Amino acid sequence: MIEVTDLWKTFKLSREQKKQTNGPTTTRRNGNVDAVAGVSFTCQPGRIFSLLGPNGAGKTTTLRMIATLLKPTSGSIKVAGYDAVKSPREVQRRLGFLTGSTKLYDRLNPNELVKYYADLHGMDNDTFAKRRDELFTLLDMHEFAKRRIGKLSSGMKQKVSIVRTMIHDPEIVVFDEPTVGLDVVTAKNIIELIRACKQQGKTVIFSTHIMGEVSLLSDDLAIIHNGRVIFSGSYDEFRGQMQRESLEEEFIRLLEGVRQ
Amino acid sequence: MKTILIIFRKELIDSVRDRRTLIAMIVVPLFLFPLLISISSNMLISQARKAQQKTLKIAVLPDAGADGSAAVFRQTLAERDDVTIIEGIGEDEGKTLVRSDSLDAVIVFDPDFDRMVTDLEPGVITMYYKSTESSEIEEGRVRRLLGGLEDELRAKRFEALELDLAIIDTVEINERNLASTKERLAQEIGGLLPYLIIIFCFMGSMYPAIDLAAGEKERGTLETLLTSPAGRMEILLGKFGVVVLTGLLTAVVSIFGMYLGIRLSNEIPPEILSAILNMLELHSVLLLLSLLLPLTVFFAAVLLSLSLFAKSFKEAQSIINPLMIVIIVPAFIGLMPGIELDTRTALIPILNVSLATKAIIAGTITPAILAEVYLSLIALAAVSLFYCKWVFGRESTIFRGT
Repeated sequence: MIEVTDLWKTFKLSREQKKQTNGPTTTRRNGNVDAVAGVSFTCQPGRIFSLLGPNGAGKTTTLRMIATLLKPTSGSIKVAGYDAVKSPREVQRRLGFLTGSTKLYDRLNPNELVKYYADLHGMDNDTFAKRRDELFTLLDMHEFAKRRIGKLSSGMKQKVSIVRTMIHDPEIVVFDEPTVGLDVVTAKNIIELIRACKQQGKTVIFSTHIMGEVSLLSDDLAIIHNGRVIFSGSYDEFRGQMQRESLEEEFIRLLEGVRQ
Repeated sequence: MKTILIIFRKELIDSVRDRRTLIAMIVVPLFLFPLLISISSNMLISQARKAQQKTLKIAVLPDAGADGSAAVFRQTLAERDDVTIIEGIGEDEGKTLVRSDSLDAVIVFDPDFDRMVTDLEPGVITMYYKSTESSEIEEGRVRRLLGGLEDELRAKRFEALELDLAIIDTVEINERNLASTKERLAQEIGGLLPYLIIIFCFMGSMYPAIDLAAGEKERGTLETLLTSPAGRMEILLGKFGVVVLTGLLTAVVSIFGMYLGIRLSNEIPPEILSAILNMLELHSVLLLLSLLLPLTVFFAAVLLSLSLFAKSFKEAQSIINPLMIVIIVPAFIGLMPGIELDTRTALIPILNVSLATKAIIAGTITPAILAEVYLSLIALAAVSLFYCKWVFGRESTIFRGT
């Protein structure tokens, strides 16, 4: 379970950023910007939670705080019962993190890379070998397990990323725009992975700005804009209160409502 | 500790598989460097030999038909195998030929030369030559020929005056230079050794530092690494270890390369060769490496801090490349004569290693000053390491540009 309560993250603007006049003025003050401003939501185990929002809405910052990469300015995050600020190691042990833009170490092979992350998670050799074989078989990876990652196709690389994320069998999985820049076939691997996580009872949160993925996967969702949550509830509730025909149109309507 | 080792091992594998690191760490110091030493020393020595063996072209004026000392001198030169006398040119034409390097020298005897010598005055000879660095050897040879004539005339004059030639000496100076060959060489070329090693050490740690920080940031892998249970300090120390190790290894390989280069160059005179090999003896090399360790930690910390700040591999390169000058200048100052290791210079990083190495090679280092060098280097390494840790802990640095 992930519980986010009244989460704030304020960044100091650089001199360069201060000169730029675009961007929401509501979240800018005294040379600071509130990238996340009072966000609260809960992600339940066995359910897929989508964090939806346009670029720059604060999705990545929120997920980075959940993944202990950034410290919140205020508010609280509990991941699997552990406070992300006070017990980051406990959170990290139970967390898998995958972003669409992350690349891999080109000079290692899939086997070495996955072993590296397994070692960092303190897995013993037997458990590692069993888990790796399971995942390699599932994703049909044995054939290229010892080939340098730099020489693999993007689809193969994505599979390596998946195994890297799942090797320690995390109970919480965070996907930050996981399908960005991927072709349809490779993106399908990710969609299947997210579904599999749900079936295994894991807590899944993923950020996206693609409405198709939301309808395909979401059990619950939060729409975030300018660092604030403008909708939070189940996917069914969202559909129930829609005033427009399509998801895209409803999404745009909500965003425009905030701007006015 | 276990996590640090896991990270260290992975970063080491990753780095040694990087062609750029391998080139900087092994190919340049082990192959290119000895080759350069060998080629340049062979070229220098063969140039000098050429100048030494070359037949000198000299015009002696007044020309044929003259008598007296000029004729005798011309005859002496004509009998030599290494001199060709050029006949039939005037003084002005001779000067033009010297200027255009067609002639090595024009020697003009004053019309009254023999009278002056007989009257116990100095006979005047004008020597036209062109002195440049490359013609120094030729110039010296012409001077020696004239010196021979002077000795001969002096001996005749003393004989005519019935004087003993030895009375010309009023003082006899017995010079005994007590500096050992090792000390003299340390002074002359001892600075070159640390200069090159420091630069190699820096170059060797440069690519891993860029790749392990900026490269990892650019790939986005740093983000995933930071979500693993490895602590930031553990990640930093793992990376640090690899950068320090590659820097030190490059230094060791470059010492070996130098040794190889000197061994392979068959033109170096034996006494210089044995003195250089003495400089590279195990004791000196180990002391040098012990000085290089804290210096490499400092390099690694600075390089990693800058590399962490950069958004990409390219940006890190453009930030770090100018830093090379900052490293070269103090290392170069150590090469200059007259700069000695004292309580002040012992505190200046890089320069202190350069000077201390020179003193170690010469065998003149004192424990007190060596301790000061160590202390200042260790303090610097510690401060830079803490700075690097601080940089690594800053969200604005780690996520700069993302």
